[in-house]
Amino acid sequence: MSTEAAEAPHPGVGPKGAAILETRAARKEFGGLVACSDIDFVVPERSIVSLIGPNGAGKTTFFNMLTGAYKPTAGEILFAGRDVGGLPPHRITKLGVGRTFQNIRLFQTMTSVENVLVGMHCRLKGGLIRSILRTPGVRREERDALARARELLRYCGLSERVDDEYSMNLSYGDQRRLEVARALGSEPTLLLLDEPTAGMNPQESADFTRFVSQLRDERGLTILLIEHDMKVVMGVSERITVLDHGEKIAEGSPAEIQANDRVIEAYLGSGAAGSAGAGSGATA
Amino acid sequence: MIDKLPIPRWARRAIIPIIIVPLVVLYPEYYTSLGTSQLIPTLSTAVTMTVFVCMAVGLNMVVGYAGLLDLGYVAFYAIGSYVAGWFASTQFASHSIVFGAVGVQSHAIGIHISIWLLLPVAAAMAAAAGVVIGLPTLRLRGDYLALVTLGFGEIIPQVVRNGDNMFGTGFNLTNGVAGITPIDPMGFRYLHGILPFLPDNFLLTPNLDVWFYRVGLLLVAITVFCSIRLRDSRLGRAWVALREDEIAAAAMGVPLMQVKTWAYASGAFFGGAAGCFYGVYQGGAIPDNFKLYISTLLLAMVILGGMGNVWGVCLGAAVLSYLNQQGLGAIGNTINSNFGTNIEITKYEAGLFGLLIVLMMLFRPQGLIPSSRRKAEFDVVKEEHEAAGVVVG
Amino acid sequence: MATDTHTARRPVLAVLPRVTGLLNRAVTIALLALLVFWLAVNFVQGPGQFGSVLLIGFTNGALYALIALGYTLVYGIIELINFAHGDVFMWGTMITVSIAGTRLGLDGSQSGIVTFFGVLAAMVGAMVFCGILNPTIERVALRRLRNAPRLAPLITTLGISYILSNAAQFFYGPNYTGVGAILPSNILFLDWPAKSLIVILATIPLLLALTYVVRRTRQGKAMRAVAQDMDAARMMGVDVDRTISFTFALAGILAGAGGTLYVLEITTTRYDLGQIGLLAFTAAVLGGIGNLTGATLGALIIGLIQAFNEGLSWHAPGEQWTTSIVFSILILILVFRPQGLLGQPEADRA
Repeated sequence: MSTEAAEAPHPGVGPKGAAILETRAARKEFGGLVACSDIDFVVPERSIVSLIGPNGAGKTTFFNMLTGAYKPTAGEILFAGRDVGGLPPHRITKLGVGRTFQNIRLFQTMTSVENVLVGMHCRLKGGLIRSILRTPGVRREERDALARARELLRYCGLSERVDDEYSMNLSYGDQRRLEVARALGSEPTLLLLDEPTAGMNPQESADFTRFVSQLRDERGLTILLIEHDMKVVMGVSERITVLDHGEKIAEGSPAEIQANDRVIEAYLGSGAAGSAGAGSGATA
Repeated sequence: MIDKLPIPRWARRAIIPIIIVPLVVLYPEYYTSLGTSQLIPTLSTAVTMTVFVCMAVGLNMVVGYAGLLDLGYVAFYAIGSYVAGWFASTQFASHSIVFGAVGVQSHAIGIHISIWLLLPVAAAMAAAAGVVIGLPTLRLRGDYLALVTLGFGEIIPQVVRNGDNMFGTGFNLTNGVAGITPIDPMGFRYLHGILPFLPDNFLLTPNLDVWFYRVGLLLVAITVFCSIRLRDSRLGRAWVALREDEIAAAAMGVPLMQVKTWAYASGAFFGGAAGCFYGVYQGGAIPDNFKLYISTLLLAMVILGGMGNVWGVCLGAAVLSYLNQQGLGAIGNTINSNFGTNIEITKYEAGLFGLLIVLMMLFRPQGLIPSSRRKAEFDVVKEEHEAAGVVVG
Repeated sequence: MATDTHTARRPVLAVLPRVTGLLNRAVTIALLALLVFWLAVNFVQGPGQFGSVLLIGFTNGALYALIALGYTLVYGIIELINFAHGDVFMWGTMITVSIAGTRLGLDGSQSGIVTFFGVLAAMVGAMVFCGILNPTIERVALRRLRNAPRLAPLITTLGISYILSNAAQFFYGPNYTGVGAILPSNILFLDWPAKSLIVILATIPLLLALTYVVRRTRQGKAMRAVAQDMDAARMMGVDVDRTISFTFALAGILAGAGGTLYVLEITTTRYDLGQIGLLAFTAAVLGGIGNLTGATLGALIIGLIQAFNEGLSWHAPGEQWTTSIVFSILILILVFRPQGLLGQPEADRA
């Protein structure tokens, strides 16, 4: 089921443990509203890092800055040592950042395979004229891409039955998996997962948690996830960063975070009691 | 409709190549035997139909594939026609350039380039215009983009109408309201020597429409072929993706601007070629032909046939251009002579097409022959509508 | 290594937006300066002509405002460009001609009182007709498509536009139809065309009434709530369908009033008059779509531009270029300031 290990490391990526993603005083304001306030944040390569916080803490805004959907108001976002703040999303994707969405955003009337092929867009070359002529190069590229797409779908645990099914007809869990497969299509080195287990039952969440670790171990990916399900967060993350009201209030290992007074206060204070799993299914 | 009939898949796939293609290609050979009813499309109507099929398939790339509403497609038709007008007529009388043209003295005044060369030139110029129009505007939201295209669709005809004295400089670019006419004819000037059955000059053949019809079909074939190849390519997938969800597409590495520009340029390309051909067929580039109405008509063709489905669009374009060119008048006459009425049905053409658009949008928005994608898309919408109360929150 | 390329590239990337920003501003200032210079020369060459052109501009602007407000109201609430709106306005002119001209026979020879009440009757008639026509269109053709892909209702309004104009051609014929000069063309000693002044003066109470309805009444509040967030408004107990119908009715009423004033000013109309709607829509976008004050301001600007272009004699491109000029403005606005003059930039959301 699983394929062999890691892709070739991206050029410009340092040795294991070096920061693959770093933000320096990253800030985003909407009008006068500060959604992310001067956030310093580091993700070491091949680590699994979680971003948590009560609803409206600025997590998704922060994600959108990292992926280029928003342009930071101030500060730097360094990916593999390069400032990517304000680059358009497709450029950032090409540099090696893949993402999924909080509320699944698949291409609904495209099949599973096509969804993954769109994910591969930036790794394929077929241009307009060569596509019309369908040159041998394009033919080969398309054939290889198709094989790779199917392979990715298997890797993410989707059965062959869904390959040519419109993604809107997939079950919820399969749609989540397809989103990951599509993101993997762009051959990312850093994968951003926005509440991947939202709406999953405990069994599915546990499976997914294992899958996330597997992605890191087998494919050498660095994974940053936003998550509400504390069981998932505590189980999978090596480091956790907590945001509240757009500010970073804590950072550390799962054990440290669990013992952190400010974090507990933030969660209790916001009424979203810190008990594990309470937030699953909610939206930020 | 067709998709509900109990026809096996292979048979459905075979219908077009085995039955329809020969029927269409051989039309000039048998149409006279169909009777003398004025409802039978004349060859001249048939030529017009090929032109509109080309343009509709081109527009379909923009609207159907990439989901960008273009209300100014007539601009590309105009550009194509004027390329024919500029480079195959006496418009620029201070020059004398003759290159491969048919039916022209070797020292004739004006520029006379072979139409065969002008077709790709016109297409390329239209595509370039598409890029120029597209680059600044394609990042606009869908309905704003529609408005900008509408704007260009109004500006370009006005420019050609007033272009006989560009900005008071006295330079006659377009010959104003009169338009550029005549345009040189088409013909196989060089091939005629090798293959004598190919006429030297279409205008000198007994039935010139036959040859124009064949060339028109060739253009249709090329357009459809390219359209299908593009649909199934990396670019075609990106078009569908951006139509569905621009933000997700961008996040997956699809460069929106570039991909949209290509959609726009490809659509314009075929509009330009068809416009050039039609200009040659009509023998002139006349400003009054380039109205907003044509853009709307083309859009109606795409919608009627089924956005995104090449064959559906071909059908839609053939039906509507037939009605527009001949059918409505013929139907009106038939009714009048049979029932003794006196209805000028062609007067209500605009209203009828408007009604058709509205009814299609309300009752069969996916078109006569929908692409499976479009069908699915409208199903999604229905489901979302029904589930709206549940999903919120 | 990677850091090196990053530091080398950074200044270029950082400076670029500032350069384009400066360039934008410089070009804008240059264009405005050119415009002012052109107007100044025209003013010096013929102050009298300039004055009357100015008045025509304001009159056009007032008429466009009544149409532009309809676009902006509808866009504000369901984010739809209603291509049929110009044709609703055209029907307003037709109804006015029917009532004032054909039915009442007003031609300027009647006494002031008769003329006043006749015109008022025509205006009320046109307002009622358009105020019913517009929500009917919404009910019959657009409501079903509210959740359809975004382009579907847009295309539908395009179809309706053709139906309306063709229907007008059916009932009123293909040629210009109209009324005599109902209003006097000058007042007492002033040489100014009185009808233009009346048009401008008649617009003001309409605008005030609209402002009152939107700001103060219950329906107006419901409109604003739906415009903000349809789902939230529904959950708070606002009847969304009714509110949307009401908005279309308001837009139609304004278009009907505009139709009457148009006929008073121009005296003739034709089935294809709906194309004026495109100019009015441009005005709405120029001012900032969804913004009522913006629509009025944009309409005045477009009206003035049109009047300057068509009426001034020193280096004015002339009437045959009006459409091109207006659409060029539209395109420039959409490209460089899509939120319009008074609109707020949209918060970018993923």
